[in-house]
Amino acid sequence: MRILLAEDDALLGDGIRAGLMLAAYAVDWVRDGQMALHALADHSYDACILDLGLPGKDGLTVLAELRRRGDRTPVLILTARDTREDKIAGLDHGADDYLTKPFDLGELQARMRALLRRAGGNAQPLLEHRGVSLDPASKRVSFNGQEVPLSGREYALLQALLSPPGHIRSRSQLEESLYSWGDETGSNTVEVYIHHLRKKFGADFIKTVRGLGYQLSDEA
Amino acid sequence: MQAFSPERVNSLRWRLLAAICAVVLLIWLLTGWFSYTKAQHEAEELMDGSLAQTARLLLAITHDNEDDLAEIVARLETVRGAEDNIYEPPLEFQIGLGDGSVVARSPDAPELPILGVADYNDIIRHDQAWRVLNAVSDDGRYRVQVAQAIGLRDRAALEVAVQTVLPLVLIVPVLILFIYLSIKRALRPLDLLAREVSTRSPDNLAALPGKRIPTEARPLVNAINRLFQRVDRTLDNERRFTADAAHELRTPLAALKVQTQVARLGGDSPVREHALQQIEAGVDRASRLVEQLLRLARLDPLSSPPSNLPVDLGRLVGETIASARAAQPQATQEIRQVVPETPCIVRGDADLLQIALRNLIDNALRYSPPDCRICIEIRQDAGAFVLDVRDDGPGVAPAILARLGERFFRGQPGSSEGNGLGLAIVARIAELHGARLLLENRQDGGFSVSLNGLHPAG
Repeated sequence: MRILLAEDDALLGDGIRAGLMLAAYAVDWVRDGQMALHALADHSYDACILDLGLPGKDGLTVLAELRRRGDRTPVLILTARDTREDKIAGLDHGADDYLTKPFDLGELQARMRALLRRAGGNAQPLLEHRGVSLDPASKRVSFNGQEVPLSGREYALLQALLSPPGHIRSRSQLEESLYSWGDETGSNTVEVYIHHLRKKFGADFIKTVRGLGYQLSDEA
Repeated sequence: MQAFSPERVNSLRWRLLAAICAVVLLIWLLTGWFSYTKAQHEAEELMDGSLAQTARLLLAITHDNEDDLAEIVARLETVRGAEDNIYEPPLEFQIGLGDGSVVARSPDAPELPILGVADYNDIIRHDQAWRVLNAVSDDGRYRVQVAQAIGLRDRAALEVAVQTVLPLVLIVPVLILFIYLSIKRALRPLDLLAREVSTRSPDNLAALPGKRIPTEARPLVNAINRLFQRVDRTLDNERRFTADAAHELRTPLAALKVQTQVARLGGDSPVREHALQQIEAGVDRASRLVEQLLRLARLDPLSSPPSNLPVDLGRLVGETIASARAAQPQATQEIRQVVPETPCIVRGDADLLQIALRNLIDNALRYSPPDCRICIEIRQDAGAFVLDVRDDGPGVAPAILARLGERFFRGQPGSSEGNGLGLAIVARIAELHGARLLLENRQDGGFSVSLNGLHPAG
């Protein structure tokens, strides 16, 4: 899961990025509104955390522009303004959720999970497919009731394939969900982690769709 | 009814109504009185005319019927009118010879000599007033005297006059009603305006509609609209200040909280170490913010500098540059000072002036490009000192320049060092010293901040 963080404050931005990376998200961090719009145009993100008090272009303008060009990336707004009018304005400009500073990292993570779940068309907190069950809240994965330990990247890859299950994911899509800017990307990294997942859940758990990418297979 | 309650006295509608009604009534009374007297006068002339005609008629009849006078008198008895008909009052007459002896008379005629001058006379006889006319025939052989009771004549004249004035009386209420309705209608736009203003919610500061506003009320409406605009701007500033303050005060707290939680979750990894470093930086920054807030809070209630002693500006500049350099060793900009040969001694508080200068130098080091040259100059202008800190960088965008110096406004948000209070503190210190803080993009490029009008000592 790849997330864009638009926050101008150095300390806060650094903290949120660290907190999200601990929860196995890939995070790109921009520090002004114009950069946020560029990043959202150039890459596909699963969600965006947007501070309203951004320099260059403020958060509401960024949000309005994003929605105007038809981008439906889920957006969570961060702001120090806490009046009712501010909240209404934020949601009316197309935000999906709202957090006021200062906030709890745990709450931010939970709201991100809910946002991603809703965006994946899945209201269930658990992602499940053929005996594999992934709990985004606890980051635990089990297979036929047995807990399976996964590395951060294995986990991110499995979550991308599971939301929702059955969709074909191209290799570049899977790469995007694994890395943020600056991370080294080997040419066969996705294949390596697909291989790891097949070892853990059975060779036929993930199907290769020639020319298109990967898909969780339906047959038992 | 409180006809003269203050509300009514001050009401445009009632004042107009009262004034117009008073004038109308006055004119009406004058017209009525004039018509009344004129009608009365005309009625009397008419009756005098008929009296003269009657006298001449009687003379003619007498002259032509000398032998049958008794018969004629008896005949006249039957045609001389009735007591109760005021338009045809009973004719009283005396007929006599040229020497004044009366030969015939009507029964109720006043007993008056008929020898008088041939003219009208008002005479009172036995408590009754008469209008009397004496006439003599052309050959002087006969005399006639005709008389009308003045009481009856007056009643007739009154009747005529009243009939003339009556329509005027009936018109008055209609006239007043018409005036009232006209005024009410003319003032209706004002009522609508009052309703529009009184039913507004306090946050609706849109301009009042200019349509259908009478010309006289337009200046008032324009003034109200201008007031609305000013209030709106003030509210905007207030909202902006609250938003900026909330951002500056809450963001460091949010950063501390998030970094603390990251440190807790990070285990023994480098993530934890990094988070702890960030927490330390965050606490430093929060301390600076608290420091600046306290400084402003202490400066706000003052009306003059805490001490007002001679301060050597040249020395102050040298010391402050050194301490600012020491605090930001990583800054690469070159700092130059231009100080006159003669000592520049101003009157003021050395500590506050140093804080102000330090803030200006810190800003210059923090926000100008790394290869910039910073120049700190002291010069004299119109008997006062100017302390100018300028750079040769790209300057400041006009939109940001306009707001620099507002509390909690940051020209370059995001850096973890500023908090949007530095220039506000400088401005306050300048104010306390009777000086002005001037921020401008220089003609030849670069940005200049100066304290203008520092008073020289002695």
